[in-house]
Order: sequence, then C-alpha cells, then structure tokens
Amino acid sequence: MRGIITYFKRDFTKWTRGKVAVFSALVMPAAWLLFVGLALPVKFTGNYLDFITPGILVMTMLMAGLSGGALLMFDKILGFLNKFLALPTPRSSILVGKILFITGRGLIQATIILIIALLIGASLLGPAQYGLTYLILFLFGVLISAFSTTIALYLEDHDSYSAFSTMISMPLFFTSTALMPYDVMPAWLATIAHFNPLSYAIDSVRAVATGVFPTVALLVLTMLAVIVLGICMHVFRKVTV
Amino acid sequence: MELIILNAIETKDLTKYYGGLCAVDHLNLSINNEIFALLGPNGSGKTTTVLMLTTLLHPTKGSATVCGYDVTKNGEEVRKKISYVPQDMAVDIKLTGRENVRFFADLYDVPHTSDCVDEVLAVMELTDRADDLIRTYSGGMRRRLELAQALVHEPAVLFLDEPTIGLDVAARKKIWEHIRALRKKGMTIFVTTHYMDEADQFCDRVGIISKGKIAALGSPIDLKARLMKDVITVRVEGACIPPPVPGVLFVGQTEDEVSFTAENGREALPALADALTRSGTKVRAMSLHEPTLDDVFLQAVGKQEEPHGFEDGKFRIMLRRRK
Repeated sequence: MRGIITYFKRDFTKWTRGKVAVFSALVMPAAWLLFVGLALPVKFTGNYLDFITPGILVMTMLMAGLSGGALLMFDKILGFLNKFLALPTPRSSILVGKILFITGRGLIQATIILIIALLIGASLLGPAQYGLTYLILFLFGVLISAFSTTIALYLEDHDSYSAFSTMISMPLFFTSTALMPYDVMPAWLATIAHFNPLSYAIDSVRAVATGVFPTVALLVLTMLAVIVLGICMHVFRKVTV
Repeated sequence: MELIILNAIETKDLTKYYGGLCAVDHLNLSINNEIFALLGPNGSGKTTTVLMLTTLLHPTKGSATVCGYDVTKNGEEVRKKISYVPQDMAVDIKLTGRENVRFFADLYDVPHTSDCVDEVLAVMELTDRADDLIRTYSGGMRRRLELAQALVHEPAVLFLDEPTIGLDVAARKKIWEHIRALRKKGMTIFVTTHYMDEADQFCDRVGIISKGKIAALGSPIDLKARLMKDVITVRVEGACIPPPVPGVLFVGQTEDEVSFTAENGREALPALADALTRSGTKVRAMSLHEPTLDDVFLQAVGKQEEPHGFEDGKFRIMLRRRK
C-alpha cells in the first residue's frame, strides 16, 4: 500500500509542476461544453447542456486516460522502471499507482469541468447522485487507463502510441451517446453506440441524474474494468521479467 | 565446526540466451567485500549479467545467489539487500534532489526517513543543492544523486552499470572516490565498465568478459603481471604476420597495431624491428610502455572486432528484452 501511495505521489507532484499541462488538458472538454453544449440547436431536449454534460465528463476521463497511457511507457524507456523493479516494493504497486494516478487526475479534471458546467447553467444534483457519478467515472477511468497503459506497453514507442490514441479518441467519442440519444441517431450509429463502452458510462451518469440506479451499466463497467486490468497486469508482468 | 563463508555474489554456470544469441555463457563468479569490475566491450554481456543478478531478467540456465538468496526463487529477498543504478541516468527533473531521494526512502520503507535522506545527501556532497530542481543539476551531480538514492537503505551489495559513462574527468574521479569510500564501509560493489584505466586504478578485482565468457579474472596487478615487464606496441602498415623473436611474445593485434611483450623491452626493441622488417612488414612507429589492462584485454580477448555480419534481428530481440 505504501508503495502505491509513493508512486502515486511522485506522478502527482510531477504533474502539478508542469503548469501548462494541467490547464491544457481542460481546454478541449471546456470548449465542447461551451461551444457545443450552449450553442447547438437541438430539438430532442429542452436543456442540451444537462444532456451533454455527462458526455463531456466521460470525455474528460477518456482524454485523461489516453494521455496517461504513455506514462508507464516513458518510465520504461527512460530507465525508471528498471530502477523500480530492482526495489523490494511489490512490483504490482508500480502499475496500480500509475492507474490510480491517471484516474485520479482525470477525476480532478472532471471536477473542474463539472464546476464550469454548473456555472454556465447545468442543473445541480444531490450529493448521492454526485457520489454515484464519481463512482462511474472512476470505474471508467480505471478501464481506460488500464487499456491505454496496456497498448502503450505493447507498442513500446511514443510515436506509435500517440498516433494510436489520436486515432481512437474522436471516433470513440462520436460513436457514443455523448452528443445525442440512441433514438435520434441513424440506426447504424445506434448499433455501434450500443457496443461502445463510453455509452455505458455516459448512459449511467445520465440515469443517475434522472434518479435511476444504473445496475446493469455499473456491472458491465466493473466487469470490463476488471478484465482489462487483468490483461494489463499480465502484459506488465511479461515486459518486466 | 565447519565455517561457511557466504559470498555476497555467487554465480554458477549463469547463462542467458536471447533467442539464439548467447549473451552470457556459463558464468562462474564469487565476489565478496570488494569492488569488482566486469570489463568488456559493448555487447559482451555485462549489462545482461547485472540484470540477472538484480532479478530483472531470468537466467536461461544456471543459478546465482546474492547474499545467499537465489535470484530467481527469492527475488524479493535479493532486492532488499541490493541497490541498482542502471546505465541510463533516470532521475525526475521536475523534483528536487531531496524529493528524489525521499521517494526512494519511502519505497524502501526506511525508518527515520528525513534523517536518513539528509545523511545520504550529505555523504554525496549534495546538501547545498538538495532543494533545487534536478533540472539545474550537472551530469556528475545527477549521478551522485542516483548513488544517494541507492544508498538510502544501506544495501549490502551495490550494482553500478557504467557509473561514469558520459561524465567529465573530475566528475568521474569523484564518483570513484565515493565508491571507494563505500567499499571501506564493507559494501560489496559490482561495477561494469569499458574504461580499462578506471578499472585498473580503482577496482580490487576485474573480470574481463568477451562474448559472454570470462576471459581473464584477477586483480589488475596480477593480470598485468601475467604479461612480461614491458609491452612493445608497433604501428604497422598493411598486413603483419608476427615473426618469432627470442624473448619476445606476441600479445595481440588491433586494426593497425601489433603488441608484443618482453622481459627487457629496450633490448628487444631493435631485434623486433629487424625481424619485422625482414618478414616484410612496414613498421611505422614503435613504442615501449609498462603493461596496462588494455594489453591484458588484448591478450585475453584478441582482436576487438566490430561484429561482422551483424545479426540485426537478434540484436533487436536483445534490446527489446533488455529494456
């Protein structure tokens, strides 16, 4: 446990010292919220901002997770990983610390985005609803960061990884329910959206906002997160002896 | 009563294959309470050996123990006893010196963390700059900081992979002075290097490794004593077949230099020059010097060739596994 906290603290301190990176990550989701959330003329809902906010929160987690995937790979390329692996600290805490950091960073960014949404007119929810929202975002964060870390460890080079993350981020976002519900989508898009893990996270955050407990979506997200985390552990063990 | 002396490092037929490439070939070493240098050209298996001894790589065959613990079966116990400073410098430039060391102290879970951190920073003469970001540190300081990180839990065995690579002369000397001081405290230090002069000057014992095998092993003085009193190096033009000269022994040959050893170099010099000219070799220059580890190396390993027909695929596999 101590190892996990120590690795987490290292990444966190490094992150907060790179001031540009802290803010630049917020620009994209904030821009979506303002320029699309406030401006897009839609007919299916009276308050589009309330509709799009869950989508943007999940998008923030997605971006944070994808950009965090390279962290462990960099530790490996730059020789930090070899030093860490020669320590008596349990090796798995390197990976767990990293995934918790990426997820935690995403949650901090999501919080700022949430505050911006509230400031520009999104409806305020109850504490239990926010609690559940954060749980969903956390599960989704673990899923994405474990996934991106696995891919990065597998690809072993930064250019390929950044190409990969750029390639998947927007398609993942557009084929989810972030911007519109299933019933206004063309049928083909709705089919894809049903298989998109982003939709599960977004739909369950929306369900929470309307007062429904999203049992199935939560179970699916948890299961996905556990499976991907397991694969990630396996790849991590393989690249480290 | 039988007295069992437990060596800090003990390897038995330690072997590592990367695919079909044999990186380390049946290595047998016993190292205790000394500065031991594994000396060899790039790609000779030095780093692979260190990675196996630090539990970062599994041996293909054979075994090794560190402080009595098997590196494959008791990895965690081994890691409690050792510290490893890899060749590539890896310190967080966005953190201060103190934070970098503190980070390792926390990972090792050392008691009285703050005092301990202060102490190792003082030992490595970094106290003045401890609260500056590493961004502002020189290469030598960063290396010393890495040593401070490695020393924070008082390891029994310290592994240093090319500790002075890329540093200037003064910084190198300082690093070696620190290593010597640690040795005096009873630490076993395993160094890899390809700087012969440093190994000669600062190490208790060296093992010359070539193509994964130990070609010569002993203290620098003993190794040099295996050659005769003088070494004659001849720079030649074109091919050279070393002629037999009484009292002169052929040592080895590099690109355009041929080395011989003789009991009395001054007298052997003209005789050798005559013999070479008679055998049709064009002599450009001759020099006489005392044996160095370079000569020992030349004798033990022979011509240090850049591998011809370099197997790119195998090398890639090796690099990938090493990271």
